[in-house]
Amino acid sequence: MLNLTLTKSKHFCRRIIGQALIAGMCISSSLVTLHANAEELGYPEKEELKFGFIKLTDMAPIAIAYEKGFFEDEGLYVTIEAQANWKVLLDGVIDGRLDGAHMLAGQPIAATIGYGTKAEIITPFSMDLNGNGITVSNEIWQQMKVNIPKRPDGKPVHPIKADALKPVVEKYSASGKPFNMGMVFPVSTHNYELRYWLAAGGIHPGFYAPHKGDTSGQIDAQALLSVTPPPQMPATLEAGTIYGYCVGEPWNQQAVFKGIGVPVVTDYEIWKDNPEKVFGITKAFSEKYPNTTIRLTRALIRAAKWLDENNNANRPEAVKILSQSNYVGADYDVIANSMTGTFEYEKGDKRDVPDFNVFFRYNATYPYYSDAIWYLTQMRRWGQISEDKPDTWYKEVANKVYRPDIYMKAAQSLVDEKLMAASDFAELANEDGFRNPQTHFIDNIVYDGTKPNEYINKFSIGLKAGDKI
Amino acid sequence: MDLLLDISKIDMVFPTPKGDFTALKEVDLKIHKGEFISLIGHSGCGKSTVLNVVAGLYQATKGGVLLNNKYVTEPGPERAVVFQNHSLLPWLTAYQNVELAVKQVFKKTMNSREMKEWIEHNLKLVHMDHAIHKRPDEISGGMKQRVGIARALAMQPEVLLMDEPFGALDALTRAHMQDSLMEIQEELNNTVIMITHDVDEAVLLSDRIVMMTNGPAATVGEILDVNLPRPRDRISLAQDAEYNRLRSAVLTFLYEKQRKVETISSREKVASSSTQKVDVA
Amino acid sequence: MTTLINKFISLEQGSSLLLELKRLLMTRLQAIVLPTVGVACFLIIWSLAANAIDTSLGKFPGPKAVGTQIVNLYQEHVAEREKEAAFYQRQEVRNAKRLAKDPSYQPKIRAYTGKETFIDQIGTSLVTVLSGFIVAAIIAIPLGIAVGLSKALNTAINPIIQIFKPVSPLAWLPLVTMVVSAVYVSPEPLLAKSFVNSMITVTLCCIWPMVINTSVGVAAINQDWVNVSRVLRLPSLVHVQKIVLPASIPAIFTGMRLSLGIAWMVLIAAEMLAQNPGLGKFVWDEFQNGSSQSLSRIMTAVFVIGFIGFLLDRGMLQLQRILSWDKDSAKR
Repeated sequence: MLNLTLTKSKHFCRRIIGQALIAGMCISSSLVTLHANAEELGYPEKEELKFGFIKLTDMAPIAIAYEKGFFEDEGLYVTIEAQANWKVLLDGVIDGRLDGAHMLAGQPIAATIGYGTKAEIITPFSMDLNGNGITVSNEIWQQMKVNIPKRPDGKPVHPIKADALKPVVEKYSASGKPFNMGMVFPVSTHNYELRYWLAAGGIHPGFYAPHKGDTSGQIDAQALLSVTPPPQMPATLEAGTIYGYCVGEPWNQQAVFKGIGVPVVTDYEIWKDNPEKVFGITKAFSEKYPNTTIRLTRALIRAAKWLDENNNANRPEAVKILSQSNYVGADYDVIANSMTGTFEYEKGDKRDVPDFNVFFRYNATYPYYSDAIWYLTQMRRWGQISEDKPDTWYKEVANKVYRPDIYMKAAQSLVDEKLMAASDFAELANEDGFRNPQTHFIDNIVYDGTKPNEYINKFSIGLKAGDKI
Repeated sequence: MDLLLDISKIDMVFPTPKGDFTALKEVDLKIHKGEFISLIGHSGCGKSTVLNVVAGLYQATKGGVLLNNKYVTEPGPERAVVFQNHSLLPWLTAYQNVELAVKQVFKKTMNSREMKEWIEHNLKLVHMDHAIHKRPDEISGGMKQRVGIARALAMQPEVLLMDEPFGALDALTRAHMQDSLMEIQEELNNTVIMITHDVDEAVLLSDRIVMMTNGPAATVGEILDVNLPRPRDRISLAQDAEYNRLRSAVLTFLYEKQRKVETISSREKVASSSTQKVDVA
Repeated sequence: MTTLINKFISLEQGSSLLLELKRLLMTRLQAIVLPTVGVACFLIIWSLAANAIDTSLGKFPGPKAVGTQIVNLYQEHVAEREKEAAFYQRQEVRNAKRLAKDPSYQPKIRAYTGKETFIDQIGTSLVTVLSGFIVAAIIAIPLGIAVGLSKALNTAINPIIQIFKPVSPLAWLPLVTMVVSAVYVSPEPLLAKSFVNSMITVTLCCIWPMVINTSVGVAAINQDWVNVSRVLRLPSLVHVQKIVLPASIPAIFTGMRLSLGIAWMVLIAAEMLAQNPGLGKFVWDEFQNGSSQSLSRIMTAVFVIGFIGFLLDRGMLQLQRILSWDKDSAKR
């Protein structure tokens, strides 16, 4: 068991220094707690687990941990089950039908603050960076295309901003046609990314007003956003119910393959290396089964590393696994399009996006508090959080939901057992959970996770401090 | 002879949507042990109603039935019924049909071996021992009726009630059945009330023939004593003066005294019956 | 002259024998040839139509695509079984290792965690439909008998039955799901919740036709048989057991066949809707996958669903033939 006594910790420090291993790993910070390896990690308290996922390529760490035997190495016998939609998945975790699941980063946060279903969900593991795209129908694309500057070779200049879409949206609203777009869940990354992109181009995506019972998110909206489960996005677009959508892979590439739509921008271009899915479990689960929690985190970390190692060398194998019908199930070529470092926009316009799917590089698996806070700022910006909150509140929520402490215990034990190298976690030694101010946003607004209220005030579209609907 | 059954001034009134319908009015009949009684009369005169009241399947509106000086209030195996349509349970074999009755009636007094013997004995009595494991749908109409009689006899009833037992059979089979019944009657000396349409059958089998008036408010019209010596043989009786007198007495009652205004449909029925027998349709 | 006549007669007989033979052959041929022609026509029209329909997932699957998928699905099943064997082997090794380290450890064999193959899903659906059906029969047949025997009960219950009968069990599904997850709490559940949900949904749709048919059958029971029972003074329980139940078997079976047919259709839809394991989930998953094989796999599932539905009906008919005395009612 994990006896975190000071003496043991000191003893551990001495030992590590004595062995001349990375001294930096031994930080007596309150955030990065390292446990003593004098006692090894115990057997899992619960061995038979059921994890849920949505058919998206970024569920890959779970599939890989299963297929490569990383779960079994931990003594975990995991069943993996596709879920119908994000709500069913979240309810499954809350009511215990599922032990854990591939979740939208916003889900544990929203659940904890009680937006939607109230439940204490935590995440010890961030599943990936990037991986989403925004696709519009062919009809909209033809109208947008004229507003996009061309490169000398005739292809559109990237990134494509929503400025190009704005005249189209205005034309539709002038003729009284609502401009509908799909996203996957009210607290999904996709919702915030789509809103971010639209708002950056001057299109208002609408406010939420939960205190008035309005959870449609369409107040003052120029583009009306509604929920569609990811795998149904292409079919809904094809049916003409929506003109565009923001979704994870392979559903953007699927539109290209089916010839029903054109991806215009990836989230990598909206916010470079943005955090995407997380692995969510209930707080109660983590407390009842601490060893199981650490062990499943270990398995996922190893899977993430496998996905990225040797410069994505394992990706073709991963794509093959994901194309199995029990995982993502889409055709190999469709999944491979984005998973192997390329992304096809308009048919034939295939571009290199080496970091479109990042599973391990850039500390992708570490649950940063600042990531949690970014989602909170967007919830506030669009009214899902209806009142002003102090900066300290943002940090408290992030502390509750994002659990780098569990992550670091898992990482440390992997290093101890020589399953991974200390260098794999080198940058995390001094990590306080806040990324340095991030600059790579499509509208060039800088995000500093330590100052959420200041950040919210920088946007021209969206609620600011003091605003209320 | 001992008085066994006293049918005492029974009235039977059925409520109908158009008001009460009086089927029977003061039907009065005393039956002695070992007597074979036929009830004869036109259709709808309430013969079956009398039988059902005796069986306990109906309750008389007025008056009542005494069996051995005890009021009849419900059906029971001491008044076994042989129904017109054999009413064998089609999912049971001949043996099982009889067994159902035997098991119920003798559950306290017989062991299973005795029961088996008793069932087989009764089936033998009606000449059905060759087909005891056949189901009703595998045997002929006459055979079914034999099994029905065996079932009733197996209950060792005080009175055997037979509601047109041979009415649905063809003439030849009917004659066979009548002969069988007479044989059995010879052996067991049961008390029997039998409803019939058939004048010859009534004269051949009965000790007394009870002739009923037409309904509504039907009642006992005349009672004819049949003093022909037993055993009776249908061939020789055909030439017998007494037999023919009795036969014409019944016919006179039915067709002169109780002439029924026939509906077209019932006349057609008579016309279509090709037998030479005098059927009272 | 006589020989000539004899010859003629034998010739006549011979030719009539030939005619007879020809007639027999014709009826036999008709029994084989006509369905074959029907199926062949269907296959041709299907493959022509399939070729003409373009979807965003490629051409509509024709007979050939379905044939390929049948082979694929079977091979996947075999491969999965091999993976399963390996899984158990690994587990044994792991258990042995742990036992060596910790002698007090009680080795445990955990069930295979891999995916359910198409054939597994068929099994799941069959088990679900039959369990739900049996549960429904256990409830509906006694209830139907009670309703059929008692006019008062019939009058009391009839409005409820009439109102619930036309409700699609799929409308119940969300309620069932919520109630099951609230009521059925057990740390080590014997049956999976999803199974219980599907089973209850099947039960709900089976109950009504069975209650109605049983009660009608019981109410319409031959009065003579009732009289036999009365004359014998059979106690009520024996009366039900010996007279009522066998007498209403044909009606009960009619209800059972009807409800099993509905149940099978409803189950597939419920599995699709609730993502509960089974053929319905297979169809839905394949639809969601949207791969180039999805449509042909769904088409395969459609045929399998139809074929199993047919077998279920035949099975019930066979059961009825064995159990029911009324051979006429079991002919169709």
